[in-house]
Amino acid sequence: MKSNTFGWILLAPTIVVLFFFGVLPFLYVVYVSFHQWNPFAANPNMIYNAAGNFRQIVFDSAFLASLGVTVAFVFFAVLTEVVVGYVLAQAFMSDFPGKAFFRTIHTLPLIIAPIIVGSIWKLMTTPSIGIIPHLLQSSVGFDLNIGQSAAAAFIITITMDIWHWTPLVTLTLIAALVSLPPDPFEQAQIDGAGKWQIFWHITLPMIAPAVMATVFIRLMDALRIVDEVLMLTGGGPGSATRYIGVHIFREVFPRTNYGYGSAISVVVLYLTIVVCWLLYTGMLAPRKPRKG
Amino acid sequence: MADVKIEKVFKRYGSVQIMHGVGVDIEDGEFVVLVGPSGCGKSTLLRMIAGLEEISEGTISIGGRIVNDVLPKERDIAMVFQSYALYPHKTVFDNIGFPLKMAKRSQAEIKEKVHKAAEILDLTKLLDRYPKQLSGGQRQRVAMGRAIVRDPQVFLFDEPLSNLDAKLRVTMRVEIKELHQRLKTTIVYVTHDQIEAMTMADKIVVMRDGRVEQIGAPLDLYDNPQNVFVAGFIGSPAMNFVQGTIKGSGTKKQFVSDGGLTLPVPATAAADGQAVTYGVRPEHISVGAEGILLRVVVTEPTGAETQIFAKAGKDMMDAIVKERISAAPGEEIGFVIDPANVHLFDRKTERRI
Repeated sequence: MKSNTFGWILLAPTIVVLFFFGVLPFLYVVYVSFHQWNPFAANPNMIYNAAGNFRQIVFDSAFLASLGVTVAFVFFAVLTEVVVGYVLAQAFMSDFPGKAFFRTIHTLPLIIAPIIVGSIWKLMTTPSIGIIPHLLQSSVGFDLNIGQSAAAAFIITITMDIWHWTPLVTLTLIAALVSLPPDPFEQAQIDGAGKWQIFWHITLPMIAPAVMATVFIRLMDALRIVDEVLMLTGGGPGSATRYIGVHIFREVFPRTNYGYGSAISVVVLYLTIVVCWLLYTGMLAPRKPRKG
Repeated sequence: MADVKIEKVFKRYGSVQIMHGVGVDIEDGEFVVLVGPSGCGKSTLLRMIAGLEEISEGTISIGGRIVNDVLPKERDIAMVFQSYALYPHKTVFDNIGFPLKMAKRSQAEIKEKVHKAAEILDLTKLLDRYPKQLSGGQRQRVAMGRAIVRDPQVFLFDEPLSNLDAKLRVTMRVEIKELHQRLKTTIVYVTHDQIEAMTMADKIVVMRDGRVEQIGAPLDLYDNPQNVFVAGFIGSPAMNFVQGTIKGSGTKKQFVSDGGLTLPVPATAAADGQAVTYGVRPEHISVGAEGILLRVVVTEPTGAETQIFAKAGKDMMDAIVKERISAAPGEEIGFVIDPANVHLFDRKTERRI
């Protein structure tokens, strides 16, 4: 019991800080989501309207459209990051000249603040001054204009996210690959498995927990992307890159629609948890040892 | 089933050469044990047979086919690792069935063969478990099961028993030998434990520093060790060695140690004045008043036998006798040595005379 008390004392500062800056604001958002509250409306007070906000969400075509592009964005971005991250991690597992240099260089995007990433990419993609439109124009004659083409804007935001976050996946997967015991892989070679079979039957299941952890982190991050996209496209053109975070931001700040914005946040949190839970039960839970 | 031929095999890592022209002939169905102290290259040699290490020079052939450039998966071998190397995310059934699955056998055949192997190894009740739910001995048996289901040309064992406790090791030793008698598949088995080698092998290959010291049947190595290393390595407790010279000629030859102890020698080619290492096994010394007198240092009774450590000057010898002898330290005792059981080695070349 004594050591338990000591443990709580050590944890207390964290718990207190988390309570005031994490739990309380969260509960407040939930509270606000059940109210109509726009300080600049005719009635600036909070008006309780039960599940009214949530009912509105279900029929809100702007929200549903935003949710649609967000899901597409998250799917393509995270999938590519995991695949490219794994390939890079495998590459960094072998020895080649300049390996340490490349590994350092490739992690640099991680330490750049999202808002800076957004402005770097804005600079690189702005027609007539950006390097990317220039190169595309001069090499294949493609006219890239993310201010006009919805598809181009969508693809560039995904590319930016991949550029920014693939290194995180690579680092996690390197850590996972390094910690694998060598024997099962040699055994698999002797058991008659080829490269793909070893990857599919041995490597992948053995690093599955690390892959899942990375996917969760990336999934949650990608679902609430705001600043990079806001900086790069502002959610446009039209609503082509109005991802859910951007949508909430637009709802809450220029329109000061606090109650409705909070309700969307709660729904998005709920959806995130559902998606993670589905992934977890689908991918990891069956591997839990059976009793007997 | 197949024979394995290892011819003049060298292994180099950069400029460091760790294997110096090893040659071993393994006949079809033979149980061969590679034995030697750690770092002698026995595991490297096994891994070369498996295809997990490249061969720098020389050839290895399995069943008449040179396999130097053949991938492990195409060598038709099965291997049991010291760590067992079970797939942690697969059940016992899937672990054992994995080689068959890779060979694209039908579900029905996999099921039949896995159950048959499980029956042989007493694993039937554990087929649904995962490796981490098994004891060391059970894991070891799963690794063996995975090896036997595929009916390979050669079994390779890399110190499979060294992670087990002493009692289990003896049981598994018997099981592996029994398995060999039943399957009659060629086995190459690596161990550092000379008892394991003696009890299991048809043929032992003693290795040291990347070289083969001697190849022979267990009792052949025990009776006729070709050099001091093999003499000291095979047999437990180890052979007594005394350094000295041969004095006299004809039937009057005697061995006189550097410390002045005189010991009987067999009819030998060693010449008068030749510097030799005199070797005699503890179990070939008996105790009697007519023997050479030494002073007792320690006696170790184990019930079945008594081991006596005794000294004369600098020369220390030990004897194992069936009788229960209680000699106090410092007391004089007579060691009787039958010259027929004495081994003489040249002191310079360390080779048998």
